Amino acid sequence: MKRIRISGCASQLLARNTPRRPSCPYLHRAVAPHNHRIQTRLQTTAATPIDEEIDIEIEAGTEDSTPGPVKAPRNFKEKPLPPSPHPQAAQHSVKLAALRSRLSLHSRFPLQTLARTLVHPSADPNPAFNNASLSVLGGNLLSYYTTEWILCNYPRLPMSVVFAAQYAYIGPVALATIASEWGIEAAAVPGSEVDPGLLQFQRLKSGEKLPSLLRQEVPWKWRNTTTHKIVATDEFGSDQAPVSPHALVNTAVPMEEAAQSFVRALIGSLHLHLGSLLVKRFFRDHFLSRQLDLSSLFDFQTPTRDLSRLCAREGFEAPVARLVSETGRKSRHPVFIVGVYSGKDQLGQAAGSSLDEARIRAAAAALKAWYLYRPIEVTLPSSTENQVDTSRWKPNMVDCGEVIV
Amino acid sequence: MPLSAIRTVAKPQNGVGAFILQCKKLEFHYCDWWGSSRGMNAFIKSSLPAFAKRNPSVEISISPRPRRHPVIQAHYINGNQRSICVRGMANELVREKAELLRDASGEKNQRFSKPVTSINESVRGIWSPFHGAQMRI
Repeated sequence: MKRIRISGCASQLLARNTPRRPSCPYLHRAVAPHNHRIQTRLQTTAATPIDEEIDIEIEAGTEDSTPGPVKAPRNFKEKPLPPSPHPQAAQHSVKLAALRSRLSLHSRFPLQTLARTLVHPSADPNPAFNNASLSVLGGNLLSYYTTEWILCNYPRLPMSVVFAAQYAYIGPVALATIASEWGIEAAAVPGSEVDPGLLQFQRLKSGEKLPSLLRQEVPWKWRNTTTHKIVATDEFGSDQAPVSPHALVNTAVPMEEAAQSFVRALIGSLHLHLGSLLVKRFFRDHFLSRQLDLSSLFDFQTPTRDLSRLCAREGFEAPVARLVSETGRKSRHPVFIVGVYSGKDQLGQAAGSSLDEARIRAAAAALKAWYLYRPIEVTLPSSTENQVDTSRWKPNMVDCGEVIV
Repeated sequence: MPLSAIRTVAKPQNGVGAFILQCKKLEFHYCDWWGSSRGMNAFIKSSLPAFAKRNPSVEISISPRPRRHPVIQAHYINGNQRSICVRGMANELVREKAELLRDASGEKNQRFSKPVTSINESVRGIWSPFHGAQMRI
């Protein structure tokens, strides 16, 4: 039997030869589609090469037809279902509409894109339908906005605390929590028939180990400094090697991983559809509004030594600890209040149940008072994006950094 | 390392920046034959479209539950469910119950003994006997 040429029978390929894909799904609504699936491929927002996609499809088609001794004419009804829901199903999904409204997103933000942000690459390997590229963009935007906010508002913060603050706001755990607070539910198994309002990913079975990609560590070096962490690792200074979302195709992942990819992808798609101004507002409302006590992140080893080094660096007089008041020195619960003074200025004060404890606490309080300095007026670099008038820009304070002991 | 940092996660404060309605889904169950669902059926026919329009962030589903009393069931973001049986209630009363479920946070009902709870440090600080005017006996 003569082999059917795929390009001959599938008129959808003709439609796909257009050199540019329209970026907005609403643009080509009036065009009558030959085939719904292909039409929506044209509608996707991804800028992936089209040829590659066709190659994959043709290969898959020939594989289907070659092995059997009797080659039946290809039946299009038996074509395997797409791994993720059809983009058109997003229009009719109640869950998606409710989610969009719950996050108070603009109605200009299309539901199809929202549905795409919910598809993890482990569910759908096709980069035009999963959220991998969007989550890369969104992850970068998130770390940019958080970093600039932390660095401008707390210019003297030590680098390790900056890392911890980043982790607290946009770390993997924080993003997964945020997704669950938005009411994201996961589909048991991804598939085309699943409601597009559910998070779709290939689940890690219980008791299974994490995929090796998510367990990779940064190659160990004997000189792993903080500077090295700034340059070489991710925004949280972690030991884990950053994983590209595109690499997670067809690997079972934990729910946390899929949920954080959704949050990142949502930020990325908001940036593409609504612009950076609205993304910044969204970021302020949903991420910066969370409560984080930065002073509780510090973990000093030798605060007294740090403080004396700091005073020497800044040209203050050497710090002296003095007893401010005390009670019950001989009792079971003595309380000492110790202040750390540099000349006549009190740098910090704290209470402790022994003289040494109070002195160390006072030194830590003095260091926190220095490190947690917050300028009154701050202009974030991103606030001057796309603005002709630069008179609003005021340079931010840049500190020489933490004390090196 | 002279200074290390402790990793935590920032705490959510719903309503401080963005407000997210905690009610995720409302399910309305009715019966076509039983008289106890008369009010529920009237509510579904007349008031539910307006109710749904007013609350776009709540997913609403209607399903028959033959030979049973009418029930409104709510699903919340924290995973809890609440249901109210609205048998024999009039249209208005059913709407009130639906609004009650919509406004609930999904937490179990609990008694608050303090009028204010806060995760922020108090502005005045904890009273200390060592500071301020010393009392002399």
